[in-house]
Amino acid sequence: MIYLYAIAEGLDGLPEVLGVDGAPLVHGSAAGLDLVLSEHAAGELDASEEAVLAHARVVEALVARSAALLPARFGRGFRDPDALREAIEGRAASLREALAQVRGCVEVGVRVLRPEPAPPPAAESGRAYMEARLAHTEEARELHEPLAALARAATRTVGATPRLLLSGAYLVEPGELDAFRSRVSELEAAHPELTFVTTGPWPPYSFAPGGET
Amino acid sequence: MSTVPERPLEQQITLLELVDRVLNKGVTLTGDITLSVADVDLVYVGLRVLLTTVSTMERLAAE
Amino acid sequence: MSDELDRILGVTGSGDLDAVAGELDRLQGAFPRRVNADPEKVEKGLAQLVLTLVELLRQLMERQALRRMEQGNLTDEQIERLGQTFMKLEKRMEELKAEFDLEDGDLNLNLGPLGDLL
Repeated sequence: MIYLYAIAEGLDGLPEVLGVDGAPLVHGSAAGLDLVLSEHAAGELDASEEAVLAHARVVEALVARSAALLPARFGRGFRDPDALREAIEGRAASLREALAQVRGCVEVGVRVLRPEPAPPPAAESGRAYMEARLAHTEEARELHEPLAALARAATRTVGATPRLLLSGAYLVEPGELDAFRSRVSELEAAHPELTFVTTGPWPPYSFAPGGET
Repeated sequence: MSTVPERPLEQQITLLELVDRVLNKGVTLTGDITLSVADVDLVYVGLRVLLTTVSTMERLAAE
Repeated sequence: MSDELDRILGVTGSGDLDAVAGELDRLQGAFPRRVNADPEKVEKGLAQLVLTLVELLRQLMERQALRRMEQGNLTDEQIERLGQTFMKLEKRMEELKAEFDLEDGDLNLNLGPLGDLL
């Protein structure tokens, strides 16, 4: 099984880290794109903390060595080199587009929590439910849009948990990071009852098409 | 029970964020047309058609 | 290793990091976990897919209804009926999730470019 860590452009050699299960990294190529791989026996991989961290470590180390990078999610295995090449060649155009988009950017994550879960409207009227939903949607939009405005691209994850008002991922140019953090501070000040958690910079996991290929 | 010392809360959160990115446990809608579950592309859904229909309906309803 | 786990750029709010960790934990369920394809998991994977589609449609419909409500295009009776229906749907979704042992994170909809629609 051929295991994929990332698809890159302009990869400047492999980093000196081992992959999942201590497997050595392999530098592959398809459709003119750089692939970072490791080889494993056929079968599934255990998503242990160790394995997930090994994967993350490889992706992290690749950021500094590539002009653009699309991280793969954990568990992207291919039967053989042909299957891998086919998958990449089949999506070469969208992969190049995605690489162009993420080039030079980092991902910043923002989660916003309510102080308590939104009260379940089960006992109330249909109208009360609708009004609560309206307020909820508007609140999330009020938080997401100002941040998305400072990013090259943004995604929102919906339907997370009752307390997570917003889970956003933002593709930010390094020069915009300060402005982005200021914007988060402004939103925090405007919503003192909410908890904001900003994390990053991350490799652009959320902006790789289909996760990766 | 583990004998490994508890990580500080900040590190726990960062680890959870990292795992959430790397594992992508949920379902991703990508490029309007492919639905992936746990990294396996399972279904081609004419989502664009569905969504276009929705927005057309909205527009017609507004007229 | 501690460098990798040093990603928090900012936290504010009632300093409730425990709550943050708790919510993130909810997204992931049990960890570590196996990434494999035993028969039971295949059925669960199918349920996950179907329920996610249902959840997506529910959110799309709800969004549309909310827009019309904002614009004042719905009668009081319509609003009441829509609200009741969406409440029932939400309740049923919770039941189905429990039945298939699916958690919040399993139906985590990452909308990417479609995010603007919701």
